[in-house]
Amino acid sequence: MNAVDYLQFVLAPQIVNGLAIGVAVVLVALGLTIIFGLLDVINMAHGEFYAVGAYLALALGAVGIDFWLLLVLVPLLMLPLGYVVERGLIQRVFNTPDRHVSTLLLTFGLALVLEDVLKVIFGPNTQRPPTPIKGAIDMFGIFLPTYRLFLIVFGLAVIAAVALIVYRTRLGAMVRAAAFDRDMAGSMGVPVTHVYAGAFAFGIALAGLAGVLLAPIYSVFPTMGRDFILMAFTVVIVGGMGSIAGVVVAGLVLTQIQAIASLYISPVWTDPIVFGIMVAVLMVRPQGLFGRIGHA
Amino acid sequence: MKTALKGILAATTLSLMASGAALAEDPIKIGVVTPLSGTYAPIGQQVRWGLELATKEVNAAGGIMGRQIELSFEDGEANPSVAVQKAEKQFTVNNVDFLTGTVNSGATLAVGQLAERSGKLIATTVSFADSITGASCSPNVFRVNARAGQQSAALAAWVDKEAPDPKVFFLGPDYEMGRSTVAAFKSTITGLGGTEAGEVFAPLDNKDYTPYFGQIRAAQPQVLYTSVAGNDTVRLLTQMENFGLLENLLVVGASGTVTSQNIDAIGSAAEGFATGVGYSVQIDTPENKKFVEAFRAAYDKDPDLYGADSYGVIYFYKAAVEKAQSTDTDAVRKAMEDLKWMTPQGEKTMRAGDHQAIQPMYVVRVTDGKFTIYSDVSGDEAIGKDACEKF
Repeated sequence: MNAVDYLQFVLAPQIVNGLAIGVAVVLVALGLTIIFGLLDVINMAHGEFYAVGAYLALALGAVGIDFWLLLVLVPLLMLPLGYVVERGLIQRVFNTPDRHVSTLLLTFGLALVLEDVLKVIFGPNTQRPPTPIKGAIDMFGIFLPTYRLFLIVFGLAVIAAVALIVYRTRLGAMVRAAAFDRDMAGSMGVPVTHVYAGAFAFGIALAGLAGVLLAPIYSVFPTMGRDFILMAFTVVIVGGMGSIAGVVVAGLVLTQIQAIASLYISPVWTDPIVFGIMVAVLMVRPQGLFGRIGHA
Repeated sequence: MKTALKGILAATTLSLMASGAALAEDPIKIGVVTPLSGTYAPIGQQVRWGLELATKEVNAAGGIMGRQIELSFEDGEANPSVAVQKAEKQFTVNNVDFLTGTVNSGATLAVGQLAERSGKLIATTVSFADSITGASCSPNVFRVNARAGQQSAALAAWVDKEAPDPKVFFLGPDYEMGRSTVAAFKSTITGLGGTEAGEVFAPLDNKDYTPYFGQIRAAQPQVLYTSVAGNDTVRLLTQMENFGLLENLLVVGASGTVTSQNIDAIGSAAEGFATGVGYSVQIDTPENKKFVEAFRAAYDKDPDLYGADSYGVIYFYKAAVEKAQSTDTDAVRKAMEDLKWMTPQGEKTMRAGDHQAIQPMYVVRVTDGKFTIYSDVSGDEAIGKDACEKF
């Protein structure tokens, strides 16, 4: 097979597929980095909120609500959930000296509880909502289902919107100010407790949105929260906790590495490679590629 | 003071003697370590249903030698180290006479080693890996379900009729069961004239199979053999359908790949999937009709091979204990070897040489969202060689 054929029929499809996976990972990791970066909370329950979003989409879709409506409805429904979790649970352990340990344990426990609650309500079997956009396109020899193309485009749009909100709006400025110096921001009139709770809720809503988008591709089952959580944390650490640019770059690059590497080595080795990169980054540049929100 | 002490001593001895006499009415405890959570939870659910249904029937008919059966469940999480911990608990704390329910082949092998050390017997009703009654056989481990070798013998014979001398692509989960099922089918189909077009082992719980699609497309196989299970099957088949890879491809797989637990989620992508199984709801024996009716009445769901074989293991144990007239490990083991007992699939024989059950095998295919029997292979044809050298 000559070089051009190889490029077109082997490498290019692999890259495009990797891009679709990469956008999925970035969507899940985006909420995590905001929570990590701003609140300094290690949200081990983030994967479970992704699962909650998917199950909400499943349940509401079964009653007949259209997929396009769900894209807006599910994140909106998850906002109050995230707000309540932050104010009710996380705030309680937040102002203790060993905050990192206690929030980690708290969110870990929350994850276990959520997983079993989902299993009790929905049963242990796998379910799958129908694919909203059927069909596939074949461009330049690259075969791609239309829904995956939609995912790439919509995902990039969501990422751009989040970046816009965080860096170009007053709301975003308040969030970044509170992350940089909580007391100073508070004394300047920023309602810090609300900003914290709102940012957490926003991160959760993003996780829920990822759940809605990915449910038709990856199907829905109680332990699905574990699918992305490890990869999401890796991406957040490599990209820099709190940095949106970092999450995007790290997410897309790491999934590309996985996609292309699986052409040449046994697929089980692509995970250790990615985690190895994470370890290397932690040793050489612990703040990640792009540093922290408010501090970047 | 002394008389009070004597009185207490007498009372204690009397109550101990009384409980000694009551031992004959003590329940027979069967421990179950099965995944109640995680990827294989749907399988654990069928195992539970099968065991509970059989236990209810046996207890209603008087139990085993007059003693009622008591089941105690622990969650093995399809993880060998967790399963061993829970099995340890069952043997030492719950004092079970017999253990069953392990699903993951790694868990069965690990718990089997524990059973040898504890002097107890276990039987698996799900694990496919040939090694359990082959290279890694154990005198304390029995298997009542069909193993990978039996499934692939039946399936390969049928595939060769459908697509003579096919190019086959293999895709399995990267652990004991995945590798052994792929190896078993590969050796059988190449023996009949097939060729290997490629082989990939994806991690268990892999969510995205698209990185392998380029390879599959390039290989241009006529047949795809896969041994993924549970959620992994849903993702593999639906993603393949989305990418147009299912057209002109005969997809076959291990028994556990597509079952009543995940077939709804797979939807149209499951159409045409064929597998060799030891059980189908459509098996036309009076025992099976009775069993399916009772199962549907109790649980409002069809039984699958895990439910049927778990139902059968209770009757297997009952027949062995009645033949041995005891629950002592060595006596029961001897009774189990070469034992014939009745199951929904007809009469099975437990081969003494390797503790593997011999039974007729069927090829079933998904047609309009339901499994239909396409052909069958006799027990002796499908059983294969006794590869166990340890006893």
